[in-house]
Amino acid sequence: MIRNPFHGQLHGPRPTRRSLLWSLFGLCALGGRSAGAEAAPEFRVLIHPENPTTSLSKDFVTDLFLKRVTRWRDGEAVHPVDQRADSGVRKSFSDDVLRRSVSAVKRYWQQRIFSGRDLPPPEFDSDEAVVSYVLKHRGAIGYVSGRAKLDRAKSILVQ
Amino acid sequence: MADRRSRWLRHDSWVGPIVCAATAFAVPAPARADDSSDGTGPLPIEIHAFVSQGFIKTSSNNYLAEDSTKGSFEFSEVGINFSKQLTDRMRVGMQLFTHDLGPLGNYRTRFDWFYLDYRFWDWLGLRAGRTKLPFGLYNESSDIDAARVPILLPQSVYPVSNRDFLLALTGAEAYGIVPLAGAGSLEYRLYGGAIFYDTADASSTLSNVRGPYIFGARLMWQNPIEGLQVGASAQKLRLDGDAVFPPAQIAQLQMAGQLPSDFSGPLKFQIPATLAVASLEYSAHDLLVASEYSRWWASLNSSTVASFSVPETVSERFYLMSAYHVTPWFTPGVYYSVLFGNVDDRKGNDAPYGTPKGTPPLGRGAYQHDLALTLRYDLNSFWLLKLEGHYMHGTAGLSSALNGNQPLSSLTEDWGVFLAKTTAYF
Repeated sequence: MIRNPFHGQLHGPRPTRRSLLWSLFGLCALGGRSAGAEAAPEFRVLIHPENPTTSLSKDFVTDLFLKRVTRWRDGEAVHPVDQRADSGVRKSFSDDVLRRSVSAVKRYWQQRIFSGRDLPPPEFDSDEAVVSYVLKHRGAIGYVSGRAKLDRAKSILVQ
Repeated sequence: MADRRSRWLRHDSWVGPIVCAATAFAVPAPARADDSSDGTGPLPIEIHAFVSQGFIKTSSNNYLAEDSTKGSFEFSEVGINFSKQLTDRMRVGMQLFTHDLGPLGNYRTRFDWFYLDYRFWDWLGLRAGRTKLPFGLYNESSDIDAARVPILLPQSVYPVSNRDFLLALTGAEAYGIVPLAGAGSLEYRLYGGAIFYDTADASSTLSNVRGPYIFGARLMWQNPIEGLQVGASAQKLRLDGDAVFPPAQIAQLQMAGQLPSDFSGPLKFQIPATLAVASLEYSAHDLLVASEYSRWWASLNSSTVASFSVPETVSERFYLMSAYHVTPWFTPGVYYSVLFGNVDDRKGNDAPYGTPKGTPPLGRGAYQHDLALTLRYDLNSFWLLKLEGHYMHGTAGLSSALNGNQPLSSLTEDWGVFLAKTTAYF
């Protein structure tokens, strides 16, 4: 029987290979998490830099965008601003925060408009326009895509 | 007074041209903010409008329109509104509306609503003018095709024939939303005023119909459960008017013993009524489920001919409706709606009250079951098309006048309705 001179060595690399594979898998996984952490969110919610708010609940943001609540806690009038109905960021915001499809929100506003109850927030065509509006209105709240330049607008946590 | 008010509300001569001119010059999608604008200037007047054209065809029995069995295009609506936010708290607005639905409307233009709205706080606002009646989930938006999936809302609770007098009141309203600290929020509406009734839409025997008062309330609890709201509404009102019968009909009624031999008319009447509805709606993501249960108490009193009075009758109405947003452009919906004209006689075993002995029982005219399926296509952001089919069992929601004055018990019990409607709006 010929002893494999590399027996010991051959046994040696096996765990090393497995380790290497696990390590690679781990790196990939870490890399994936790292990439996920660095990836921009689908949208950011913005307010004026002088607004002291740092975080809001989804329910409260929903109330602001549906104009059920019209004042910030300090009494400032709320000025919500939307993006175009066919934009991806509007869909993401609507699904995640308002928990209604864009169409359902539009139907809500059709009811309000034609029954004389209220008017929807103005719609802007771009992230830049939303940022510009938010910077000019102390009570403004809007949302932009994750990679938009915020200038001095304040991004808040919505949970 | 009522005549002067009705003239002022209708203004047939000049409102029509204003609607046309305003529509022609209106800029589509005025809510869209221009990128070049910083939005810091005075807020503009917002203009919104809609135009609808529908088609209705029934397998038998005329429904909503004369000759619906042959197919009818007498199903049109046009509305345009103007709103302006004067300050953070104050807003004004008005809507002009004209429509044609069978014998109703006939393109007479009128103010649908107009108001001055001041919102002191989120929990208290006041609105005065001609405002829409908050009754149930959808009464305020019952004439807004774009805001719902079905062409016809469940007719047991939202009959289109009542649109002209149960859609709005002239008076004032208090409203607000009260947060309930972890238990959601409560939206309330309290209102009171008078009803404008367009006698041009009434049958030829009615005149000087008016609603001297209406008051009511609606409470809606926005539940902590995502998308769920539960509510209740109630209103009390009275309609007064005169019935003027042609001589031949007077003679006929005198022979039947329903009018005294010395009657020369008119017959003055009052209809006091109380309406209540319990509502439940779940609307989250792409799903809508709604259900309402309602009872209406109404009687007819005549000060001139006591035999014409009808004691209080309680009708029962309920429905279950659902819609699902399959794609951004396609939403099917379905509902089942039931109407019983008299809760004490759901099967129609009795003859209508006050009819001579020997009159056959009400039968199928005492109930109406309505199973409806709608397909809504949003062709783009400003234009939609709907197709709808109904299977009907019973005739309680039908009009004898549209069916050759035949009693409801003699009309076809099982029948179908097909509707198509297209609406453009901005």
